[in-house]
Amino acid sequence: MSVLKVEELYRTFNNGKKAFYPLNFQVEKQEIIGILGTSGCGKSTLLRVLAGLDMGYEGVIRVDREVHRGTHEKVGFVFQEPRLMPWLTVEENVAFGLKGKDKLSKANKFLELVCLEEYRKHYPKQLSGGMAQRVAIARALVTSPEILLLDEPFSALDAFTKMTLQDLLLDLWRKCKSTMVLVTHDIDEALYLCDRLFILRGQPGELVKELVIDTQRPRQRGDLHLAELKAEVIEQLQLQPEWQI
Amino acid sequence: MKSKFVKLIIGLAITTLSIGAVGCTSKNQSQAGTNKPKEIRLDFATYNIESLVLKDKGWLEDEFKKDNVKVSFVESQGSNKSLEFLKSNSIDFGSAAGSAGLISKAKGAPIQAVYAFSKPEWSALVTKSNSTIKSVKDLKGKKVAVTLGTDPYILLLRALDEAGLSKDDIQLIPLQHSDGAAALISGQVDAWSGLDPIMARVQVENGAKLFYRNVDFNTYGLLDVRNDFAKNYPEYVGRVIKIYDKARKWIIANPQEAQKLLEKQAKLKPEVAKIQLQRTDLKQSIPGAPQKAALTKAAEILKKYDIIPTNTDVQKTISEFVNGTFAQKALK
Amino acid sequence: MSELNTNTSKVEKISLWLRIIKRVDILKKIALGIIVPLLLVIIWQTLSNFGLIPSYLLPSPSTVVSTLIKLANTGELFTHAGITTYRVLVGFAFGSALAIILGSITGYYRVVYQVLDPLIQALRAIPSLAWVPLFILWFGIGEGSKVIMIAVGVFFPVYLNWVTGIKGVDKKYVEVGILYHFTAIKTIRKILFPAALPSLLTGLRSGLGLGWMFVVAAELMGTSKGLGYLMVLGENNSAPELILGSIILFAILGKITDGILVYIERRVLHWQNSFGEENGNVSS
Repeated sequence: MSVLKVEELYRTFNNGKKAFYPLNFQVEKQEIIGILGTSGCGKSTLLRVLAGLDMGYEGVIRVDREVHRGTHEKVGFVFQEPRLMPWLTVEENVAFGLKGKDKLSKANKFLELVCLEEYRKHYPKQLSGGMAQRVAIARALVTSPEILLLDEPFSALDAFTKMTLQDLLLDLWRKCKSTMVLVTHDIDEALYLCDRLFILRGQPGELVKELVIDTQRPRQRGDLHLAELKAEVIEQLQLQPEWQI
Repeated sequence: MKSKFVKLIIGLAITTLSIGAVGCTSKNQSQAGTNKPKEIRLDFATYNIESLVLKDKGWLEDEFKKDNVKVSFVESQGSNKSLEFLKSNSIDFGSAAGSAGLISKAKGAPIQAVYAFSKPEWSALVTKSNSTIKSVKDLKGKKVAVTLGTDPYILLLRALDEAGLSKDDIQLIPLQHSDGAAALISGQVDAWSGLDPIMARVQVENGAKLFYRNVDFNTYGLLDVRNDFAKNYPEYVGRVIKIYDKARKWIIANPQEAQKLLEKQAKLKPEVAKIQLQRTDLKQSIPGAPQKAALTKAAEILKKYDIIPTNTDVQKTISEFVNGTFAQKALK
Repeated sequence: MSELNTNTSKVEKISLWLRIIKRVDILKKIALGIIVPLLLVIIWQTLSNFGLIPSYLLPSPSTVVSTLIKLANTGELFTHAGITTYRVLVGFAFGSALAIILGSITGYYRVVYQVLDPLIQALRAIPSLAWVPLFILWFGIGEGSKVIMIAVGVFFPVYLNWVTGIKGVDKKYVEVGILYHFTAIKTIRKILFPAALPSLLTGLRSGLGLGWMFVVAAELMGTSKGLGYLMVLGENNSAPELILGSIILFAILGKITDGILVYIERRVLHWQNSFGEENGNVSS
């Protein structure tokens, strides 16, 4: 039963250029899908289209089998930057999408999940990059979305924070039983987290390969099989050096 | 570090002092090597009929052409403005009511009254024809427009005093003469302490009535001159007075033409000009005892309201202010 | 045991010294700010005492101060200062409110912006004080007329800063609202308003300053009470000390009201993480 299905989806900009070639794929419940590609292949645009932030597309998106256009309650989003409202406290930020009297206590539950409940009265300016991104993830999860879309969520963080947050993401995935679609340009990250990888190549991007990663979790970052897959990915992306070595 | 600081302080002090010094230099400078002014700056006003004659006929320009002295005129909208120009050294001769000039003099203005250009009844309390105000007592709590620092202002204060009221019993709205008249007609104020010719105009054109008149509360039209001008160019003061007197005599001898001139220069209707001329007595022109007496009376109310300092030596101030010697010499 | 005592008393001594130094620091700041004005006043008073400055042009500081004290004793000072302040505050309230409401609509709806803003910008180009004679003609010289004049003066800077602030809100924040299905009103209330608040407060400070300027103009024409009236009185009754006293009071009141806004700004914008901050607070 597909939770998210995309049929002949494509997006052409005003100047006639395509963002990506028509795409067809589907995402099953509780999968973690990775969309991997070099810059300019339209992966971020694809995610924004899926989230409903970009409505200028052609084709069909189905959420839980129903055709849908625009933002959906069941679809959450995490941006590349935390995008926290600077004038709100951490807990108010997490509760941003909620209504009702008990929204702060609901928010705090999710803050606990990302291990930041002691910072709930702090302001965004007092947080580090990694902490802010954790709050953003909590905010995305607070509406209990079935599908969580993440647009290069850790690309702005240092290597160590990245690894910590990747583990946190897996933890949340297990606890909340969500389905995730993750856009990234970090091959190691994709291989560590995802069940399936869609590889987009070129400008505009074309879906050249769907890679299945069946290694059991928890995965080892130095795993040999993953290293082989990495080589395959690199080959698929046709990453040629631009100059002679 | 310390010496830099000291230098800064000294520099600041020098700058301040030089700014002060520059500000105090006379703006009317003598012609090089001689004892005559480059320019004689006078004012003209619709309440000073001689000034209008002089502006029209150019007699002052003719008189001083041979000395190569320029003559210029600027309009005063009231005694308060005329005195402001005198104090700021923008004019050398200004037309102001006696009491108004006295206020400035008591506050240290370096001026003296050298010629009496009229004994007018140019001010009275005015209200609209349909108004309920019949006497000064009716002014209690009402809005009264008046120009501060002029004869109408002092007349108002004296009238209130006479009726047993004080300035605080009315709402005094400071407006320049023409604005005050306009405010009366448009109903924004209940009464106006008026000044001719504007007062005559609202009588004729709007049917306004003068509900309080007192010729004794009007204190002469005086031509004031700056002390430094009088000190440096006494001969020229006398010559200006002579020409002024020529204008006065001309008005008396040519009433029809004078009225026409007044109509033209002040842009008045014939009836209005007529009324103003009727209310203006031009028989006397050398300032002396009568003016001093009127001012002494006016000084009482000025002291009462602290408009002039309560410790002012009134007699001394008045005798320094009213100086008939130039006129006596010039008009012998 | 005695060692513990000496250590504690050492710590106490050090903290006492630190407190003294901190206070001296603040005193130093104040002192530095006062030196030049104080010096100028001293020079001014000295020159007056020696008669180098004619009193009918520039009365001495002592004359000005004694005049103000006299007015304070009769209570007139508070009446005049009070009504002027009242006019400014009421005009400020009306002008700002109108600017915020109109600015919110214009800032949010592009169509409204395209239709209304050119008109408002054209009106803004009219030199503020040119409105005064026109308003007197239309609205007379009553209280309403003065408050309207002040409101007009306050309106334009508040409007301009507010609209610019709204339009300048980073789209990234608005997108977060889109994700949560925010309506227009919710977007304005929860995202645009707080994000544009810094601009609004700048505009309010500007507007308040203009309010004080306009009240001078409004009171120079036809009022029987107020600090502007004192100026007219001083001008026409040969009392320049009243003019100066009035100016000083204007400056003090203006500074106090501005100070209140700065305090509000600091409290409301405590969350800002910007360049102009001292210890995490908005600088004035």
